[in-house]
Amino acid sequence: MTLGDRNFPLPTPRRSFFKKAAAISATLGAATSAWVAEPDPQSASVGMPAAHAADGTGPLKMAFIQWQPHTVPAAWSKGIEEVLKDQPQTQYKLLDGQNKVEVQVSLMDALINEGTAVIFLQPIDSVALAPSINKAKRAGISVITLNIDATAQHAAHVEMSHYYGAMEIARVMGEKMGGKGEVAILNAPPGIIIRDQRTNGFVEGLKKHHPNVKVVADQVADWSRKKAQDVLATILNAKPGLTGVYGVNDSMALGAVDVAKEKGLLGKLVIFGNDGEKDALESIENGELTGTQYTDVYQQGRFAASAATVLASGQVPATAFKKQAHLLMPFVIATRENVKQIQPSQRW
Amino acid sequence: MIRRHGISALPIFFLVTFAFFCAVVPRFATAGNLEALMAGYAFIAIVAMGESFAILLRGVDLSVGAVMALAGMVAFDASLILHLPGYLSVALALVVATFAGVLNGLLIVFLRLQPFIATLATLAAYRGIVFAISGRQLVPGLSTTALDDPWIIGLETYFDVGATLGVESIAVPAIPLSFLLMIVLLVLFEVLLRSTRFGRDFYATGGNPEAARLAGIDLRRTVLIGYALSGFCAGVAALLLVARLTTSTEALGNGMELTAIAAAVIGGVRLNGGMGSMWGPVVGTFLLGVVLMGLTLFGISQFVQQILTGAVLLAAIAHSRWLQSRRLLPSAPEGS
Amino acid sequence: MSGLALLEGRALSKVYGLSTVLHPTDVVVVAGEVRGLVGSNGAGKSTLMKILTGAIAPTSGHILINGEIASPGRPLEMLRRGVACIYQHSNLVAEMSVLDNIYIGRQPTRRLGLIQRKLLREQAQALLARHGMDLDLDAHVSTLSTVRQKEVEILKALALDARVLLMDEPTAWLSVADVARLHSTIDGLRARGVGIIYVSHVLDEVFAICDTVTVMRDGSVVADQPIAQLDRARVIELMVGKTLATQALGEANGAARSAPAAGVPRLRCRALSKRGEFHEVSLDVHAGEILCLTGLVGSKRSELVQAIFGANRFDSGTIELEGVPVKFHSPRAAIASGVGFVTEDRHRDGLMLDLSIAENLVAATLGRYRRGLLLAGERIRATALRLITALNIQPPDFMKPVRLLSGGNQQKVLLGKWLDLQPRLLILDEPTVGVDIGAKAEIYGLLRAARDNGMAVLVVSSDLEEVMTIADRIAVMVAGRVVRTRETCETKIVDLVRDMGAVSA
Repeated sequence: MTLGDRNFPLPTPRRSFFKKAAAISATLGAATSAWVAEPDPQSASVGMPAAHAADGTGPLKMAFIQWQPHTVPAAWSKGIEEVLKDQPQTQYKLLDGQNKVEVQVSLMDALINEGTAVIFLQPIDSVALAPSINKAKRAGISVITLNIDATAQHAAHVEMSHYYGAMEIARVMGEKMGGKGEVAILNAPPGIIIRDQRTNGFVEGLKKHHPNVKVVADQVADWSRKKAQDVLATILNAKPGLTGVYGVNDSMALGAVDVAKEKGLLGKLVIFGNDGEKDALESIENGELTGTQYTDVYQQGRFAASAATVLASGQVPATAFKKQAHLLMPFVIATRENVKQIQPSQRW
Repeated sequence: MIRRHGISALPIFFLVTFAFFCAVVPRFATAGNLEALMAGYAFIAIVAMGESFAILLRGVDLSVGAVMALAGMVAFDASLILHLPGYLSVALALVVATFAGVLNGLLIVFLRLQPFIATLATLAAYRGIVFAISGRQLVPGLSTTALDDPWIIGLETYFDVGATLGVESIAVPAIPLSFLLMIVLLVLFEVLLRSTRFGRDFYATGGNPEAARLAGIDLRRTVLIGYALSGFCAGVAALLLVARLTTSTEALGNGMELTAIAAAVIGGVRLNGGMGSMWGPVVGTFLLGVVLMGLTLFGISQFVQQILTGAVLLAAIAHSRWLQSRRLLPSAPEGS
Repeated sequence: MSGLALLEGRALSKVYGLSTVLHPTDVVVVAGEVRGLVGSNGAGKSTLMKILTGAIAPTSGHILINGEIASPGRPLEMLRRGVACIYQHSNLVAEMSVLDNIYIGRQPTRRLGLIQRKLLREQAQALLARHGMDLDLDAHVSTLSTVRQKEVEILKALALDARVLLMDEPTAWLSVADVARLHSTIDGLRARGVGIIYVSHVLDEVFAICDTVTVMRDGSVVADQPIAQLDRARVIELMVGKTLATQALGEANGAARSAPAAGVPRLRCRALSKRGEFHEVSLDVHAGEILCLTGLVGSKRSELVQAIFGANRFDSGTIELEGVPVKFHSPRAAIASGVGFVTEDRHRDGLMLDLSIAENLVAATLGRYRRGLLLAGERIRATALRLITALNIQPPDFMKPVRLLSGGNQQKVLLGKWLDLQPRLLILDEPTVGVDIGAKAEIYGLLRAARDNGMAVLVVSSDLEEVMTIADRIAVMVAGRVVRTRETCETKIVDLVRDMGAVSA
């Protein structure tokens, strides 16, 4: 079940109210359908505020446990706050996982004990946080994961459309390359779901749309711009005929841009990133980076918060989720042609 | 003439801090929170005890975090790739961890490397090995598979003390197995250090290695055993953490060495060696835990929390220095 | 019991490569006898000691313990057979109790290595009783005074049933009262038939406590006699030869010095006070004069001279340098005004141990060697060589790290650094602690030469013999106040002792 595919009309500031309404109704629809899909015989009354704070009448507590400080979770948090501040009696706080799984687990424990109603989570590891998610579920807490899924079923997962987005990138990129050529992938360290999604989507996309574009290299560049520079320089030595580079995130793509600039290959290399960071968009405007998958991360936060308010209203108990809701964010493949449409307030 | 150490203020400080948070922070003194505290910090306390062995010997073990990752990954691979029965995986992980510690000892004793340098090198080496043997990267799909062997997962169990004792009126926190294990190790190690000749030799080796050597104490054996114990403790902690997470990650235990050293120093273990106990680091760990959990529940931002942790550390060191200065009278000179 | 040879060394020698450090030597330790062992550094004393304790093996010769041959070079075996050494630096574990230290490494145990505490304590108490010593078994060693720590070390050796005790500079850092206490302990040991070798630079002590003395020089024994047959002058002469001996004694002093300089004193202090340290201190040092400031340990002399130098603060009073009022806020200011300071602890705050002799020698005068932004290496080398020759620093290798020199040579480097500054006033704090008699004599000669050249010299010293040897005038300080200032020619040691308030011996 996906919401929005390619070229979803980008929201502008004056449409913010409608955007929120749309978001809420969309999530309601998604959530309800999940619930309807597998009714849970155990949870008797739908109206029971099982997802409320255990205090019953106190303010609704929500918290977001991020991986570590970064532009993406910061933007999510802003989006969440925007929606929640309109809600009556809701408390929200942002917690930092300090890049350690045990810290996230500890924070989950603390939040569970505190009687939190909804927890937003960006898990550092999909398996390691599963026991904590189960624990939260048992306590009647809804867990909404952002971008990185966990192996335990939970209320909802809101992600940038990693897989389909990557497929789109492959399609647009192949067009830019004229339907043929050699591509190198600058990849993330293995073992993370998001890497597989973004890589597989890309590869499948090429196969489907541009079978003559071949992937000739796939190297790990650790999500880092600096590392990507070194890696691509090495790849170029081995494969001087390279015509395309796909960085699985923007930082790595920008590293490729740096190398291309240095070697004077800007016109010849087609470079795509993934995420839609401010810097990437600027680079596209300057004619350096060819394109990226842009997701309005603030919007992602808002979606998540909207889902949260629905769940916390008690209309859908957390224990009802045998099958979790899976929200894919609408995205745009931003290239020189359409990058101007992305408003400054939407850039992160 | 002052006979003994001034009584350390640490246990009192801990109780006062604990009481403070119980009174001020809502939901702090709940069974659930105390369970979370015990479960979240017992394994850290075990690493802190292991680290203390190294510090007591006038050294330091910077590789404890990496050894944790190594032991965790060994258990993971053994269970999910080699499909060994749980008790073997656990045993294998402990053996590897202890051996990693022995290797540290060998570098220090035979290559005469400074402990800081030796364990810094092994820190890098062990992390590298973890990446090389990581089942999550070698076998696709394992990164989303949870461990399910009862021997390993069983380490994360809770004992419902309240039900056993038949206490109905108040909610008694369930005691995690990791906490009980920590207590057992604490008792064993304290007895070892205080009441055996090896323990006395241990303090002597750390307090004045030259005097120990001249008294016929085998310095090499003492140092090797000390670092082996540090590795072993890291292994035990790793297994407890892996059980809690139902998986092992390559970054397991990242930064654990600093937490362990901080807990040890707060617990009164002197960085110059020769002075300290095992219960000190344990109390130090739980003090840190109480402060961090209390502040989180109180809503204090985590950056402020880090500042306060630093303040606790400084206070502990100042207290320790003050205790030392009270006892100081002219002591024998160090050579001409 | 006495007269029995407990430990005998026959024809012990030690050769390192081409150099013979110890020529074939006989030595005997007799039960119930305290034998002094004296000699300059390099005389072979420490080599002999190390052979006797088994720390090194002799090139030739053998050791007999109670008449039986002992394997050389095995320290643990020597220990086991009753030969123990009490070193100059502490071999106790400061953070452990007296009880733990005495039995370190050898506590009686049960299964699993658990210590039998009751038995341990009983054994310790019996030991204390047997030797008439009184120590708190549970006290942490770090809380004990130095002399009591020495007692713990002695007990440690006695717990091993040591019949022979080698003591290396046992009274370093001890006050007069503590030395007396240690000596009475040694008396007790002697009465119980223990044989003791007492190595010391302080000849007074050797004459006080020893029955016989062995004098070594250049790797050989030059005398081995009952102490009664010798006097101080003769012993010094045996140790360093005639020429240096005269420097070491007071005779060289009187002749050269001219009448006290008239007019403005180089240094004039009036009513210097610092709360808790010194009070209303007034003293003058003239050009061409050596003033010794003496007193008991704890009389705050070091704090006073540090205040004059600017390394310490004072609350009130005035200091004048050649009539000009000064108040140094830092040593740097003092040096700039021509005041030098040779510190008490050359290791801690005098020398940079890992740097070379040359680097240390020019450390206070680096400004002279500046050439643009760099240092003129050639000139530094030339200065270093000049000073090394003038001060007879051994070995004369200017690149050698100072850490590797003997105590006496280190002190000469430190002195050389300051003398090269050619200060108007040179302050020295305990300049010959831990320095052998040969180097001591050389240092005295250097100070006298500096004085003769018009320098004002202020020496803080607790060694009354030394004070009597080099001082032109003596100031006695007690508990932070100067109680008396005297001319040396009008003073005897007993006068000084009386001034200090100690009971005359």
